[in-house]
Amino acid sequence: MSTSAVNDDVRACLELGVQAAEAYKRPDLGDRLHHLVGQVGDPDVQVVVVGEFKQGKSSLINALVNAKICPVDDDIATAVPTVLRHGEEKQAWAVVSPVTDGAPPPEGSEERRAIPFDQVPAYATELGGVDHTLHIKGVEIELPRKLLSEGLVLVDTPGVGGLGSAHATAALGALSVADAALFVSDASQEYTRAEMDFLAQAQDLCSTVVCIMTKTDFYPAWRRVLEINTGHLNRLGFNIPILPVSSMLRAEAVRRNDRELNRESGFPELVRSLTGEIVAGANARERERAKITIVNVCDQLSGQFEAELAALNDPERANELLERLEEAKRKSDTLRSQVAKWSTTLNDGVGDLTSDIEFDFRQRMRSITQEGDAAIENSDPLDTWAEFEPWLVNRVSHEVVSNYRYMTERASALSADVGTHFGGDELLEDLEIHNPTSVLEGVSVEPSMDLTETTAGKKGLTVLKGSYSGMLMFGVLGGMVAVAAPVLPFVAPAVGAMMGRGALKDEKVRQIAKRRAEARNSMRRYCDEVSFQVTKDSRDTMRRVQRQLRDHYSTRAEELHKSTTENLKAAQEAAKVGVAEKAGRLRDIEAELGRIRGLRTRAAELPAISPTAQAAAQPAAAAAGGSGA
Amino acid sequence: MSLVDQARAVLLDAQTAFAGTDASALDEALKRLDGPLRVAIAGKVKAGKSTLLNALVGERLAPTDTGECTKIVTWYQDGHTYQVLVHPRDGSDAVQARFHRDEGAIEVDLAGLDSDHVDRIDVTWPSSGLRKLTLIDTPGVDSLSEGIATKAFEFLDPEDNDTPADAVLYLMKHIHSSDLRLLEAFHDDSVSQPNPVNAVAVLSRADEIGAGRLDSMASARRIAKRYGQDGRMKRLVQVVVPVAGLLAETGETLTEWEFKALRELGNAPAKELEPYLLSADRFVEARPETPLTSLEREQLLGRFGLFGIRLSLALLRRNVVDSSVELADELVSRSGLVELQTLLTTLFVDRADVLKARSALLAVERMCNEHGEVPESSELLLTIERIMAGAHPFNELSTLAAVRSGWIKAKEADLADLERVLGASGTAPWQRLGIDESTPPDGITSAAIEQLGRWQRLAENPFTTHDLVTSSRVVIRTLEEMITSATTPANS
Repeated sequence: MSTSAVNDDVRACLELGVQAAEAYKRPDLGDRLHHLVGQVGDPDVQVVVVGEFKQGKSSLINALVNAKICPVDDDIATAVPTVLRHGEEKQAWAVVSPVTDGAPPPEGSEERRAIPFDQVPAYATELGGVDHTLHIKGVEIELPRKLLSEGLVLVDTPGVGGLGSAHATAALGALSVADAALFVSDASQEYTRAEMDFLAQAQDLCSTVVCIMTKTDFYPAWRRVLEINTGHLNRLGFNIPILPVSSMLRAEAVRRNDRELNRESGFPELVRSLTGEIVAGANARERERAKITIVNVCDQLSGQFEAELAALNDPERANELLERLEEAKRKSDTLRSQVAKWSTTLNDGVGDLTSDIEFDFRQRMRSITQEGDAAIENSDPLDTWAEFEPWLVNRVSHEVVSNYRYMTERASALSADVGTHFGGDELLEDLEIHNPTSVLEGVSVEPSMDLTETTAGKKGLTVLKGSYSGMLMFGVLGGMVAVAAPVLPFVAPAVGAMMGRGALKDEKVRQIAKRRAEARNSMRRYCDEVSFQVTKDSRDTMRRVQRQLRDHYSTRAEELHKSTTENLKAAQEAAKVGVAEKAGRLRDIEAELGRIRGLRTRAAELPAISPTAQAAAQPAAAAAGGSGA
Repeated sequence: MSLVDQARAVLLDAQTAFAGTDASALDEALKRLDGPLRVAIAGKVKAGKSTLLNALVGERLAPTDTGECTKIVTWYQDGHTYQVLVHPRDGSDAVQARFHRDEGAIEVDLAGLDSDHVDRIDVTWPSSGLRKLTLIDTPGVDSLSEGIATKAFEFLDPEDNDTPADAVLYLMKHIHSSDLRLLEAFHDDSVSQPNPVNAVAVLSRADEIGAGRLDSMASARRIAKRYGQDGRMKRLVQVVVPVAGLLAETGETLTEWEFKALRELGNAPAKELEPYLLSADRFVEARPETPLTSLEREQLLGRFGLFGIRLSLALLRRNVVDSSVELADELVSRSGLVELQTLLTTLFVDRADVLKARSALLAVERMCNEHGEVPESSELLLTIERIMAGAHPFNELSTLAAVRSGWIKAKEADLADLERVLGASGTAPWQRLGIDESTPPDGITSAAIEQLGRWQRLAENPFTTHDLVTSSRVVIRTLEEMITSATTPANS
């Protein structure tokens, strides 16, 4: 997929570095650089499009890539995440797993199967149901588009808050692993409370959030709405830009090939923000990492020559030099050994981390169950269960995602701590912490029978039983009045009513208490199951991270050790070199050093943003400044 | 004795019984019993509540704006004189407030009173649109300003009181899960089941659903139908209808100038105008040679919206309408307002007596429960129970509620017929029987007898579930009453 020319300069440097490392018999350093060559070429910047349902997310993506890919309909909404990335040809896949009736699907049953391009809407919408034996988890699309060629990956998510839409889990999960988020809301009105809450969550989970206001063609007062929304954002201290766009005008502009219309659609600015700021930002981070690595490798490579050079140039102080080198080697020996301080830092750190994270998670779950208990206590679960359940699922997924977020932060800090033993650069940054929401997918809330509809019928029946008689053959089924009066014709009406009333009241109280207990149990069962799954996954993740950190830093220690050994050996050998060979050797070393230093300088002077991206970013900055009004 | 009379008698008895205590709730209930039906217009921020209210009144009374606008619960009722009363929150006496009209809308001068300290505003306005219904405009429930949201919630779901409205129109753009929450809050608080008999959901900004395409209303109807069949919605509201609020309001209040301006635009060549109808900005900033000034076009846009302008121009060009009256009629009929008004009549106005009597009885019941020490209270409670149990309209409503809540299991077709006979789509005999409106009285009788037989068979069938038998008996009684009143017209 690395068709981009953006990072050619970095790649060239890296490849030179690989050659140099091989020439100087340091394949370990070469591997490291080689690994980076692939990464720099393919930054894979995930931009997630999120927002409430029916705000025009899919239209926005279609207009961005100029193709009818994501399904757009007045009524039916997107149901599964749709991932769009660059590819040489138009292709589409559906990620499916067999339907297992609630039980978590067996490991590895997930399958990515190619689907015809025109079937994408069928797979991606609420209608779904192309094949009922399959559970569609997502759709992936490759498209040959210039916009995507620099590694931009667009993810369309199901809208939040609709009647039929999935829980916010999917969107939150996608957010937690994304590089940036586009928060979409249309120009029909200012942000609602639900939107502001969601925005706050998004801001919490994702470093870069850009607000998009859609449908500006249709709402004359969009400037007012923009102004009001900017006010809302400022009040909460969110420093987020809002870009007004019209997908309709953009599509029309493309159809008519009308530049002016395209400008009015607001898309040029959006594209610039995407490529110029978001992609370039992610790119710049990749470049920076490559740069540091090359410089570091060069320093290690030049070490042995510098040592030799110093020994050759100044034989009197050779001993002093040797001592210094031996000291460095001893240090690297300790780093390499099992009892190295960094490894203690790592092991202790992981231990602390695991218990902190579990504590954090338990705290979070506890506050959920407390809130849940309070809510159940204040209502009749029969009425509120339908609403309570999604609340519970949403709350839990949000807390789980936040917990993983915390884990990521802490693990990065730990990596930095360990890194200080190595001088602080070349930290391991890409920790393998995955989106936790897949863990939650297998767990579902299973309400007891009493909270589902059948009970509603049963309850009606109980009431009816008491009230059936003679002329007035039915009681109140529950619509109008608090009292269901079974007026028996042979008994004085008053007495009958009193008795019926009392019996019904008791029955009611008893049933509500029963339902509350059941609701609490269902909630506890769900939370327990989630805790079990999450704790297991979180421990696995911690182990994986620990292994990853250990491998990373022990490789670093290994490299350092090798370098210091080589340096020492070179210096020792230089000390023995005869006068006759000395001149020749000196020349050789100067030449080698010249080459390595050349590469180092070249790497160090690589611009932070690639020249092509910079060219694209500059007008964006100017335009962004202008659009603030 | 009619239900209202019975309720009034109980109220008067209660007033005597509770003479020593604070019986203002009873006075209020008595007043309510004789007044028009109270319909609250509720929904989230910017759902188009005030716009729809204006359309229903047929006059621009409630102010509307791009930002959040209605911040205080406002009652609009018919009366002989123009008057605005402000009720402060602290319970002190209502004060008469000054007001002026801004392009028709009533701007109330709170005379320095903070809107947070105002409980409600009463607007008395002589208007034919308010004769049968008192309309209550409420602030948006999802408001970002905490105070406003609480106010609306308190109004719709008061903790210590019956909801002040007899029926609710719940407005929404699309059905959002938080809409369900609010709807659930608006139910009879003395019974644990939400009550779908006095609520109607309105897809209020229907013209925006297709982002201004001319077939937007058809789309909106389809969506409303789908929502109406959703089990969760069914349990909460009687029916979901689409209304293009802005179109309805403008249609009801169309001016001659607006019609002329539109005609002038319509006379311009379609091809020339087309690029300017692409977006709102383009329409306002069109080149100077296009008809009207930029300011005038902006004014039109504010009144009609892009959809309204596109629609009106299409109607004018195709010579569907030729005068301001015709255009107004066409806009109103296309907005879905007429359907909503019919629905209000069949569902609420025809049933107003039942709903009001129910509110009155609930008020007395609460009073009795609060003041159990008053000796007459148990006597009163029994009377209430007797009325409630014996009054067939109550039974109809509660059975209807049970059917819609999904409590009664039966074949789809049986349930649909059950709902219809109970008056779900109107209480006139022909509506209940599902026959033609022009059917003569003996036709109605024979249809009723035929259906009666069917329900009787169903009720006697040993395989029929108990719930269905009970519901069938309610239906049987409804049909029997229908037959009796048809054969003895003197009593009806």
